[in-house]
Amino acid sequence: MLSRIFLGLAASAALLAAQNVQNQALTGEAARSAEIAKTNPFNTEADVQQGNALFQVQCTYCHGARGEGGRGADLTAGVYKMGGADPDLFKTVRSGIPGTEMPASRLTDDEIWKMVGFVKRLGSRGLSEKAPGDAAAGKALYAKNGCAGCHRIGDEGVDLGPDLSDVGRRRGLAFLEESLVKPEAFVSNTFRAVQLVMKSGPAVGGIRLNEDDLSVQLRDTNGNLRSVMKDGVKELRRDKPSLMPSYERLSKTDLTNLVAYLNSLKGAQ
Amino acid sequence: MKKWSVRLAGATFAMAAAWTLSGQGLPVTSERLLKAADEQGNWLMYSRTYNSWRFSGLNQINANNVKNLHVKWLFQGRHIEKFETTPLVANGVMYLTRPENAIYALDAATGRQLWAYEYRNPARTFNCCGKVNRGLAILGNTLFMNTLDMHVVAVDARSGHELWKTEMYDYTAAGGYAAPGAPLIVKDKLIVGMAGGEKGVSGFLDAYDPKTGKRLWRFHTIPQPGEPNFGTWDGDSWKTGGVTTWNNGSYDPETNTLFWGTSNPWPDYNDDFRKGDNLYSCSVLALDPDTGKLKWHFQFTPHDVHDWDSTQIPILLDTQFQGMNTKALAWANRNGFYYLIDRTTGKFLMAKAFVKQTWAKGFDDNGRPEVIPGNEPTPEGNDHTWPGIDGGANWMSHSYSPLTKWLYVFAREEHRVFSKNTVPHPTTETPDRPVAAGTLPNAGAYDPGLGGARTQQVGGPEESWGKVIAVDPGTGNVKWEHKVLTPPWGGVMATGGNLVFGGTLEGMIFALNATTGERLWTFSANGPVFASPISYTANGKQMVSIPAGDVIVTFGLD
Ligand code: HEC
Ligand code: HEC
Repeated sequence: MLSRIFLGLAASAALLAAQNVQNQALTGEAARSAEIAKTNPFNTEADVQQGNALFQVQCTYCHGARGEGGRGADLTAGVYKMGGADPDLFKTVRSGIPGTEMPASRLTDDEIWKMVGFVKRLGSRGLSEKAPGDAAAGKALYAKNGCAGCHRIGDEGVDLGPDLSDVGRRRGLAFLEESLVKPEAFVSNTFRAVQLVMKSGPAVGGIRLNEDDLSVQLRDTNGNLRSVMKDGVKELRRDKPSLMPSYERLSKTDLTNLVAYLNSLKGAQ
Repeated sequence: MKKWSVRLAGATFAMAAAWTLSGQGLPVTSERLLKAADEQGNWLMYSRTYNSWRFSGLNQINANNVKNLHVKWLFQGRHIEKFETTPLVANGVMYLTRPENAIYALDAATGRQLWAYEYRNPARTFNCCGKVNRGLAILGNTLFMNTLDMHVVAVDARSGHELWKTEMYDYTAAGGYAAPGAPLIVKDKLIVGMAGGEKGVSGFLDAYDPKTGKRLWRFHTIPQPGEPNFGTWDGDSWKTGGVTTWNNGSYDPETNTLFWGTSNPWPDYNDDFRKGDNLYSCSVLALDPDTGKLKWHFQFTPHDVHDWDSTQIPILLDTQFQGMNTKALAWANRNGFYYLIDRTTGKFLMAKAFVKQTWAKGFDDNGRPEVIPGNEPTPEGNDHTWPGIDGGANWMSHSYSPLTKWLYVFAREEHRVFSKNTVPHPTTETPDRPVAAGTLPNAGAYDPGLGGARTQQVGGPEESWGKVIAVDPGTGNVKWEHKVLTPPWGGVMATGGNLVFGGTLEGMIFALNATTGERLWTFSANGPVFASPISYTANGKQMVSIPAGDVIVTFGLD
């Protein structure tokens, strides 16, 4: 009698293993995924640029002009919860993500492939470029200039500015250099600076986390979460200056080395 | 443009605090957790304090002005699954979990989001009863959450940055494991329970290092070969005996004891292969939190066949019992009896039914029930038994008020059918007949785990109803009763304003007078309440929060 229970359990485990496949068969997804190419058939530079153009119109509303996220996921991280292989991304973009705001796309499969090429590029700009500087010297400059007072690399540092653990994969060399000398040139929606001049009391500044007509929420420069009612605010200044100080004053060599160090940060995987 | 007046990069900044969140009240040290009762405006752990009273001392909202209570803000989960969470509040920031395993930090005054973290589970997880999560624990600057795929994650409370994640167990093993409960910090340890009692798992309670996620101890809720009480399981039944730890526990610093309730043995309704008491199922465990060693246990329902988990929240209180001041454990159990136990020794003191029950004649000196035959599940279905499958109480929190010195229980009166599968089940999972998410896959063979509930009639108030009762903990006497239409899935909270808050399955949120049970205020949230309320202050004002459906509703006076 007893053995029957365990037989049952074993059968149930095998069945569970098979389950994903079965459910796909149910939805017709299996049949469709059989048709999806294993690698992107549209991956010339021209295809990627067309993908960019489509992305600007179709996707930036949620994913930001440079894919940095906002209402939609951050696509610059190079890490995909729904899978990062070409067919995975193709499915995500074509079918959307059920139960979330990520919509299915009505574009043709060819156009979707082109966007997939661009999405992949977003998450890996730094991979193809070779930095000329000295990364070890750049690492010392990173420590000397107090970058860790605002940024995180792995377990070190804080979360006031963006996590730099994988910035060398996400960002190209030109972007990295521009971030250091002209931080205001590009500020992602998730790291916009605000400064609140109050009707009474000292000003508050930091990174804006949220806002509506009544209040604004921010992370102040000490890393504290704050919420301020607007009826107490005399003036609300946005974006300029960025909270990221400019390092224009660094020598050309130092900048090159710092960029080389940042480029060497490819993240955990 | 002028640079900020503050100097950047490593310098410190003086900030006005009066009209903003006063810092974040971080870090939350273990000393603060021990004295959590004193932090009137905060809610720092699942049951607010280690004695699990779920009592808020705040009294701005009281019997005189509760009629003016109104909604201050909503938090919309925008998820198909309902909230079962108890939010935490530390100095104006609310931290909560949203299904499946997301964490949100909100401004507790306005409900505006500060940050979000999302843990993604695999598509198929093995939760019995919805892809839910019941909340967080906090220590230092770190929040902790259990996941449906059996991980524990640690997240920075200031940013939502994930610090570590540890796998507790293979979530696909046996019939499937899950971890929907909230963890509990005790001193320097993170205590974590698990679920899966309807699927032939093998239960445990774990402790982890909050800094690293390294496991420090594991207590097996089913004795392993050679351990005491191993013989309470027939044959190999111990291997798949269930006995999970899916809710939250309590801690008594005076005796350094951790209390935690355990679930039913498996198969739930069919006991053909598991003769014996099946320890430590349907029990309360008293453990040394430093080592995970068992100090004592008390089994409420030996050899359970009704799925009457004892995963209620243990309530630690001192009360008069037969004229003696007693350090007690007060427990309104799923099996329909209210128990009083000496929490220093585990000795049974008394038990008294708080809902209609048909299964026990009485108790011997050790608290062992004298079982009335004829209440067992049968193949054709047994409809004589009270309480029903979901019990007289379930996981939802009870509350104790030091003002009235009464225990408040949102009890379930329910008449259901208990059945048991003894024939091979005809269906198997096929493409045209997939298993619905969250249900038990049937392997096509005889599955003794199935059987059980046939649901009650919808809108049959003579068959089932709910009631908030005030219980004198020393005697089990009911001081007042407030009846509601359907058996509840929400808990209650007593407050310093002498009110008892709760919500019904229909989404009616209410405040009762704690002394009389009179209903003083209601709000129609119109989403089922599957959680217990909390109270805190934002900018010095008392607020009350309770989830209804996939929305968190927060009330205030002005
Ligand atoms: C209405 C808002 C919205 C639009 C428009 C939108 N997305 Fe998304 N997208 C989201 C959200 C939200 C998510 C994250 C969903 C989740 O997993 O919670 C997401 C996720 C994704 C992901 C998956 C990321 C991962 O981690 O796996 C990809 C890839 C993606 N979007 C690409 C696109 C592309 C390409 C477009 C344009 C065709 C687009 N999205 C348009 C909201 C949007
Ligand atoms: C006072 C805080 C602060 C300091 C100090 C600071 N940063 Fe930043 N950094 C920020 C913030 C905020 C942003 C995002 C806003 C922006 O891009 O201007 C940012 C953006 C960046 C970016 C762009 C990241 C991306 O993916 O968009 C890089 C690269 C960067 N910082 C590197 C550095 C380095 C290297 C140093 C030290 C030499 C440094 N930062 C010092 C706050 C700081």
